[in-house]
Amino acid sequence: MDQLELLKQNWKQREQEHPKLSYAQIYNMLFKRSTSIVKWIFIISILELIFWVGLYFVSPKSTFEIIEKLGLMPFMVGFNIVHYLIVLVFIYFFYKNYTSIKVTDSTRSLMDNILKTRRTVKYFVVYNVVAFALTLIIINFFYYTKSDILLEAMAETYGTIPDGPEFLTYFFIAQIVVGIILILLLLLFYRIVYGILLKKLYNNYRELKKIEV
Amino acid sequence: MSKELEHSFVSQLEENQNIVHKICRLYTNDADSHNDLFQEITIQLWKAFPKFRGDSKFSTWMYRVGLNTAITLYRKSKRSVDTQNFDAVGFKITADEYDDTVEVQLKLMYDAVKQLNDIDKALVFLYLEDKNYSEIAETLGITEVNARVKMNRIKEKLRTILNP
Repeated sequence: MDQLELLKQNWKQREQEHPKLSYAQIYNMLFKRSTSIVKWIFIISILELIFWVGLYFVSPKSTFEIIEKLGLMPFMVGFNIVHYLIVLVFIYFFYKNYTSIKVTDSTRSLMDNILKTRRTVKYFVVYNVVAFALTLIIINFFYYTKSDILLEAMAETYGTIPDGPEFLTYFFIAQIVVGIILILLLLLFYRIVYGILLKKLYNNYRELKKIEV
Repeated sequence: MSKELEHSFVSQLEENQNIVHKICRLYTNDADSHNDLFQEITIQLWKAFPKFRGDSKFSTWMYRVGLNTAITLYRKSKRSVDTQNFDAVGFKITADEYDDTVEVQLKLMYDAVKQLNDIDKALVFLYLEDKNYSEIAETLGITEVNARVKMNRIKEKLRTILNP
């Protein structure tokens, strides 16, 4: 086939047109994958922070009124400040992991960095779930000890509640059930988002380990 | 140990990078996907490198891993093809209007090759690389007879694409 022969001659001539990658450029490609996974962990943690802060602005005013009347406001403000400080510290660590993996120069230190990143993410997840559960427990404990004020406050905000004590029983059962469901959802969310990324990261780690041995 | 391995891999790949570029040229249509595929092949080569025993030449081994990556891994994320048919059609019209210069013929042929399926492309690629049938067979893991038969069918396909 003449045209194919023609193409074959041209094929060789065109070899010079290719970009020439340097040693360093190729070298960096080997670790690009882990870099991009760690980058995503960093980005998602920021998005998550934005999401929670955003949630604060869209939650109904009445919730805050009730908390105010119960005298819980100082606790809530204090708790939130501490919480977001901790989250910021985590984000800082994620960022540090990201930059250190970018400049990683050997397989050994890349493996260390991957393990470190995985550990940071695990702590982050554990912290978030525990903090969430604790807040729920503490708030409900307050609600329980000050249930008369709670009823009053609710009556003011939502209108009169006819059967007080019975309503409270249902209220706490609902709080517990919803609380457990929320914690499970939170766990599911982390499992999906970070679980996938960590698994990919771990696969990279295993590949690297094979090379090490 | 790992440092030495890295160094030996990267310098050999640097020396033979043309092979990867050529595979990318055949399997992708723009600079971005070219670079993506280049990186993908680099990673696959690096993963497979510990198993590379040196019983074949580094370049031969690169052909195999590179083409496998282009065929299997890259196919999942279908980033190419679509625009190609349209271009080829457009070019046919111009080809009818003007004389069949060498350039036009080349472009037509090139577009025709790009329309082939991924496995056929691999064969054409090795053919263009001036490999003989036993080398083609070895790289693609088929028998020499099979390689010959396949190549004849591909030539037939190309003829149909060029003269529909």
